[in-house]
Amino acid sequence: MARYAMILDTRRCIGCHSCTVACKVHNDLPLEMIYNPVTTIGPTGVFPNVHMMNLPLLCMHCGNPPCVDACPTGASQQSPEGIVFIEEKKCISCKACIMACPYGARVPNHEKGTVQKCDFCKERVHVGKLPYCVQTCHQKARIFGDMEDETSEVYKLVNSSHPVRLLGELGTEPYAFYICESEVKL
Amino acid sequence: MSKNIDLEQEGIQVKKSCCYFCHQNCGVLAYVKDGKVLDIEGDLDFPTNQGGLCSRGNIAMKHLDHPARVNYPLKRVGKRGAGEWQQISWEQALNEIAEKLSKIRDEFGAEAVATAGGTQRTDDWARRRFMNLFGSPNGFHNAHLCWIPTFMVETAIYGWCPFDLDLDNSRCLVLWGQNPGASGMPEIHHIMDLKAKGLKVIVIDPRYTETAAKADMWLPLRPGSDLALALAWLHVIIYEGLFDPEFVDEWCVGFGELADHVEQYSPEWAEPLTWLSADQIRESARMYAMNKPGNIQWGTSIDQIGKSAGAAMQARALIRAITGNLDAPGSDLLTGPSPDFVTDEEMEANDQLPDEQKAKQIGSDKFKMVTWPGYSRIAELTKEVWGKAPTAEWMCEAHPPSVFRAILTEKPYPVKALLVSATNPINSYGESKLTLEALKAVEFLVTCEYWLTPTAMLSDYVLPVAGALERPTITSSYGCADFLLASQRAIQPMYERRNDYNFWRDLGIRLGQGEMWPWETVEDAYYSKIAPLGYGVESYDEFVENYRYHFPEREYQKYKRIGFATPSKKVELYSSVLEELGYPPLPTYIGPSENEVDDPDLAKEYPLVLTTGGGFMPFHHSEHFQIKELRFIRHEPYMDINPATAAELSIKDGDWVWIETKRGRIKQKANLTQGIDPRVVYTQRGWWYPERDMREPELGGYLESNANVLTSVADDDCDPLSGAWANRGLLCKVYKVTDANEKEAK
Ligand code: SF4
Ligand code: SF4
Ligand code: SF4
Repeated sequence: MARYAMILDTRRCIGCHSCTVACKVHNDLPLEMIYNPVTTIGPTGVFPNVHMMNLPLLCMHCGNPPCVDACPTGASQQSPEGIVFIEEKKCISCKACIMACPYGARVPNHEKGTVQKCDFCKERVHVGKLPYCVQTCHQKARIFGDMEDETSEVYKLVNSSHPVRLLGELGTEPYAFYICESEVKL
Repeated sequence: MSKNIDLEQEGIQVKKSCCYFCHQNCGVLAYVKDGKVLDIEGDLDFPTNQGGLCSRGNIAMKHLDHPARVNYPLKRVGKRGAGEWQQISWEQALNEIAEKLSKIRDEFGAEAVATAGGTQRTDDWARRRFMNLFGSPNGFHNAHLCWIPTFMVETAIYGWCPFDLDLDNSRCLVLWGQNPGASGMPEIHHIMDLKAKGLKVIVIDPRYTETAAKADMWLPLRPGSDLALALAWLHVIIYEGLFDPEFVDEWCVGFGELADHVEQYSPEWAEPLTWLSADQIRESARMYAMNKPGNIQWGTSIDQIGKSAGAAMQARALIRAITGNLDAPGSDLLTGPSPDFVTDEEMEANDQLPDEQKAKQIGSDKFKMVTWPGYSRIAELTKEVWGKAPTAEWMCEAHPPSVFRAILTEKPYPVKALLVSATNPINSYGESKLTLEALKAVEFLVTCEYWLTPTAMLSDYVLPVAGALERPTITSSYGCADFLLASQRAIQPMYERRNDYNFWRDLGIRLGQGEMWPWETVEDAYYSKIAPLGYGVESYDEFVENYRYHFPEREYQKYKRIGFATPSKKVELYSSVLEELGYPPLPTYIGPSENEVDDPDLAKEYPLVLTTGGGFMPFHHSEHFQIKELRFIRHEPYMDINPATAAELSIKDGDWVWIETKRGRIKQKANLTQGIDPRVVYTQRGWWYPERDMREPELGGYLESNANVLTSVADDDCDPLSGAWANRGLLCKVYKVTDANEKEAK
């Protein structure tokens, strides 16, 4: 069984927002809904000694997802490959999952009366394609693959470049890993 | 949308299309059924973008059927700018336009018809062909601000302009006034890959850009001081002995003269002009010269610094030459024109324009490099060595601000008609107020467009143009590279949109050019271009489907076989071509168009240095402001200002501020950032507000936040070689917008 993961290489990210737009357009999201914002930190320091970092965000597809536990109807689920998703028919928009998610990864869709989130483009992934945000990233700052496959790039990167997990101390076991030059605080 | 579409369903065709929102033309796969595009994605097999698409590329579907698109030919019925249109047929539009143009030609001469173009995302050779056959030398683009002067100056010195990179073999890359992190997306990922393997990256840019943030060395120079920096680099490289003596001995002429000439330009001399320390200048020059092979990439900014632009290009070209970083592995490559396929120049019919008409080209008496005098000489030299000349469209243009002035003053003669294609001059040409006056004054204005831009709103006719997915495309770097990448139409144009090719052809036929337009469709024309490649295909589409690219085998150091395309067949450090045209043969220092050293009084009133013109995501020039899926990222224009300067001016982050030069003022929001020198401000270009009333007098707030209100096109501020005007390095002041000062007229 595959275990999908994404690596966000902040050393490469240039904050171009292609991933944000690709996701919005391809998932046909209303204007106010964003699954994967990109936050720019900086420039920090004093001119000309400055530094800047871009942090692309998304659902962490936690190994231990509090959002799934919090969902009273079973709409929030985790697939066997670790993809956390919402079965929209079952969602009553009680927003318990939004409260439970420490990463702000869930957004209400007021038009549809459901909560929605990134699902790693599971339809695409199931037919062997990459999530839109990954494919569209000119910078190859987003790397997607199967952690169970020792030949995959994600496997190799996670084991060679010691990426960080955001809010790792919470025990949510995110499957989004960040490669950073400097320390990140959320 | 896409999520619910089953792309595995029966009857779906996958078309090899491309993105058209900048001229990288990234490969796109379009999923098409029954003549409708269901979805698009980046083509994983395309050599440049490898599946990537920037934010603009991703909105192709929104662009294709956006409610604000112009879909039918429109004829003005009310007053100019009143927004009252009548929908007419193409037949009627073309007949009436042809009739008007021929009347103007009869009365005022063919030169009274001018055309304005934008970025190269149209079939420019077709426009050129039309103009040559019509008899007018007065076609122009924003080309002066974008690469063309560089191409011509470098070709004068070493016979072609290097823009093919051999980065894989390179040890050092200089990004000079270039920010691929916000403009050349396919490029930046390659750079990052190589940087991880040890490539040194130097970024020269007043702003701490997306790209500067990734560099090994960032040189935040005073905007517009590129010439001083380049001259100082020459000084360091020559006087520290870092040049390539063998290449210089064998392949260059004029080294002695150059060495004597640049003795005066030490790093200490450049320090106060560039605002960089002499150490920074030395260190950076060494980094480039000692990490061979190296590349210096072209960036638009030197083209945009006005008065000192030509000399700066010349100096930068010489840096490459004396270090031997020309056409060698890992350096800047001189591809030359393609010997294999028919180039754009060969499609242009330049020989059809009579000499006496060439002589009338507006601006060619003053700015000789990018007009017929310089182009003819370059064409002669390049044909001798390469067998072909560079594309004339772009390289040989009327001087746009001078054409606008000719419209207003009838000097040197009247210009009565302007055909505008793929550009919105009010936003994209310098000194918007002048451009605006000219557009209002010109007797006959026709615009080919996607949208009702401020310029289209002032037109007599607006014609709907086909976009990326509706047209085939050949990408061959303006017809000046020896490789090509080909894309096909995903669908036939929707509504009554047409290719710009068909516009020029159909107009030409009505004006008696019929025999010269044998290709009925764009595909036919493209097929005639690629047929000599010998792929044995029967049609253009077949070529795209089966081959799509043509990359000839790379030959390094071609000069060893054929020489450089200059009079001496060598690199002319002392340029005989420039001398012949009446310009200094060696790059000689002149200050930026406006500067604190030469004009301290002006600097007292306008104490800050302005830079405009830089590209920023997610827009491209003045495009895409109506696409809300992009606009949400930057809803309002902002200018960068250092917090220390802002504090002095009582400006807080997010305040609306005025930015004012001698020529006028605009409003943008303050973005406080440590990424800019306290003496510099950066404004975003291109802004207009399509969501506002597009009729006169509002015209979409066309002057309110438009950085070109601030720029200068005065002859004295333009580069004497090319006529490139000044977008960067000008002097300005900044102050908060208040109710009181909002009402003052400026
Ligand atoms: S597309 Fe890639 S480089 Fe651009 S913001 Fe997203 S992750 Fe960063
Ligand atoms: S990031 Fe939030 S929404 Fe995503 S799996 Fe973790 S807790 Fe659930
Ligand atoms: S970089 Fe962006 S706009 Fe340019 S061709 Fe690629 S996707 Fe299109």
